[in-house]
Amino acid sequence: MSFDLLNFYEEIKKDGIMFCYSGPISQSTVEGIGETLRINMKLEDAGITTANTVFSIFVEQMHNILNYSAERIGQDSESRQQLSLGVLVIGREEKDFYVFCGNRLLNEDVPKLRERIESIRFLDKDELKAIYKQKRRESSDSDSKGAGLGLIEMARKAEKPIEYEFRPLNEIYTFFSIKVVV
Amino acid sequence: MEKLIIEKTKSSPYIFFNPEERLLKIYGESFPENAAKFYAPVLDWVKDYLEQLDGQEVNVEMEIIYFNSSTSKVFMNFFQMLDDAAAEGNKITINWRCHEENEAAIECGEEFMEDLENVPFNIMVFKGE
Repeated sequence: MSFDLLNFYEEIKKDGIMFCYSGPISQSTVEGIGETLRINMKLEDAGITTANTVFSIFVEQMHNILNYSAERIGQDSESRQQLSLGVLVIGREEKDFYVFCGNRLLNEDVPKLRERIESIRFLDKDELKAIYKQKRRESSDSDSKGAGLGLIEMARKAEKPIEYEFRPLNEIYTFFSIKVVV
Repeated sequence: MEKLIIEKTKSSPYIFFNPEERLLKIYGESFPENAAKFYAPVLDWVKDYLEQLDGQEVNVEMEIIYFNSSTSKVFMNFFQMLDDAAAEGNKITINWRCHEENEAAIECGEEFMEDLENVPFNIMVFKGE
């Protein structure tokens, strides 16, 4: 076996990673990991507000993978047979917690998402609140499975501007990653 | 009208709408995979219910520990329906219950309250379990 599991385990531990999940994600994954995450945050003595914030960013990010990952197993989107692929990391750096997720996107979807993130990244909390309230009252895009509020919600709760990266993979896919520090 | 009762799951709340008691209750957590789809029948019920009201008192009681952003949109929609019905003379009251330590829930309640014009929206903070 070429993959060194112990090395992987030690490395992520050294990096302050509390959680690491890679693979197919369903709503049950969100519920299950979420439950453990809540207990874990309690044991980390994070404080209720921080724990709630980490949990909410975790949910928004997992739902983004669930709804928008371009990598899926199973064809039927109506049945619960379809799974979305992505990767989740939750960790600590110094006093802060972070939620870091990644998934594949179609290259054609990159510009629109980049624009949406950039448009809110450096807004202050009052501006974010105003735009959040405005978006909450708009009717959703027909191509959007969520309310389109997730990114704004994360930016409102983040301690620092959202970090993100688009890494082109080939002529079809880009790997998108987003990190929110709490 | 028939009652509307939906049992809670790990990611969706307990819903108990009872026309006889004129009580609409939503308790629990709300982060379903697709909030718009999950709440569609609930909002349909509310629409029908509000249409047949003629000035009676209705109490809406909500205690939501956590809800995600797409649920927030559904709730806004729900409160707007109640606000419109209140503007037409129905005596509707929304009681938004939250634990004193749940700052996020208190803040979310305040943000809903700011956006409503007619319906009384009370934030009821409680202590203990």
